[in-house]
Amino acid sequence: MIIAALLMTLQVAVQDPRLERLDPDTRAAVRAIVDSARGAGLPSEPLVQRALEGATKGATGPRIVAAVRRLSFDLGTARGALGTNASTPELEAGAAALRAGATPELLTHLRDLRKPPLTMALSVLADLVASGVPPDSAAAAILVLAPKARDADLVEFRRAVERDIALGAPPGAATSVRVNAGAENVNAVHAPPGNPPPPRRP
Amino acid sequence: MFDRQEDVVERVIEQLRRPVAIDPKLDARVMREIARVPSIDRRVPSWALWSSLATAAVLAFVVVAHPWSRSSATTRSDLLQFVLVAPQAASVSLVGDFNDWDPARSPMQTAQGVWATAVRLAPGRYRYAFLVNGVEWRADPGAPSAKDDEFGTPSSVVTVGGKGS
Repeated sequence: MIIAALLMTLQVAVQDPRLERLDPDTRAAVRAIVDSARGAGLPSEPLVQRALEGATKGATGPRIVAAVRRLSFDLGTARGALGTNASTPELEAGAAALRAGATPELLTHLRDLRKPPLTMALSVLADLVASGVPPDSAAAAILVLAPKARDADLVEFRRAVERDIALGAPPGAATSVRVNAGAENVNAVHAPPGNPPPPRRP
Repeated sequence: MFDRQEDVVERVIEQLRRPVAIDPKLDARVMREIARVPSIDRRVPSWALWSSLATAAVLAFVVVAHPWSRSSATTRSDLLQFVLVAPQAASVSLVGDFNDWDPARSPMQTAQGVWATAVRLAPGRYRYAFLVNGVEWRADPGAPSAKDDEFGTPSSVVTVGGKGS
């Protein structure tokens, strides 16, 4: 009896009350995906949030389930590429980068190049692609900047590229120009004292 | 009356002060009797103990940690301001991964058509959108858009970096 009570308690604890916003069929399907992900050691919160987003936006049940399932798959792929030590934010950003067109190999390469957390680097990669930058160009840019750039440098880089695109520059060209400038700035920031500053672009 | 009571008290005290003769074999007898009593294991069975402890731990975790809550008091967080210019709007809500996509959680305040609210966010990547007048979804024009929008309405993305950001 105690074991039964324990199991019921565990079930109540695991069943997220927020999912009550979904219709019964969708809720059951989402719970199955969430439980499966949790069993595989993947974070469940992003999956719950994706389901809640769908519910709030009035999406159909099958569409919500498909979105949650796809995210679960991407989180698993990101974890495989980034390693079991990757944090939940890193996995979320990794999933976004994968969805944007990055390859698992790129994520692994990025992990080898940059000290954790990789959240911002992965997120900027996904954001660049969302801005219209070809995935290969965005990936190349992030790999160039990743070893030395701070998170703030990466954010500034993304903003600069987006500004250039908004002003009419081709996304790929804007990225390559800005990545060169960004790399120079990063090198300047991390250069040993006494070195002359690099020339600034007009 | 008092004298009689004092007499009684004195007699009781006298009795109490008498040395008590204890049989030197009493200890041995008592121990022998104890040994003859069938042993009763009053210990809590280990499975019951562990079940109780596990139940208590789960309940404590649920009550204290709120496993379905994303925010954590132990995680560093940044205060971010979200702004939308919507002069014609009667109401604007900020909804996203940080408030369970619940329009009631983050209503925005307006000043002459500029709607704003601030939210404290732990490091992570968050999808969000503005809900105008309770029916119209709008992305944040000042933030990257969510490319992987699967629900047919626009969303934006904000990333809060971790240490060293």
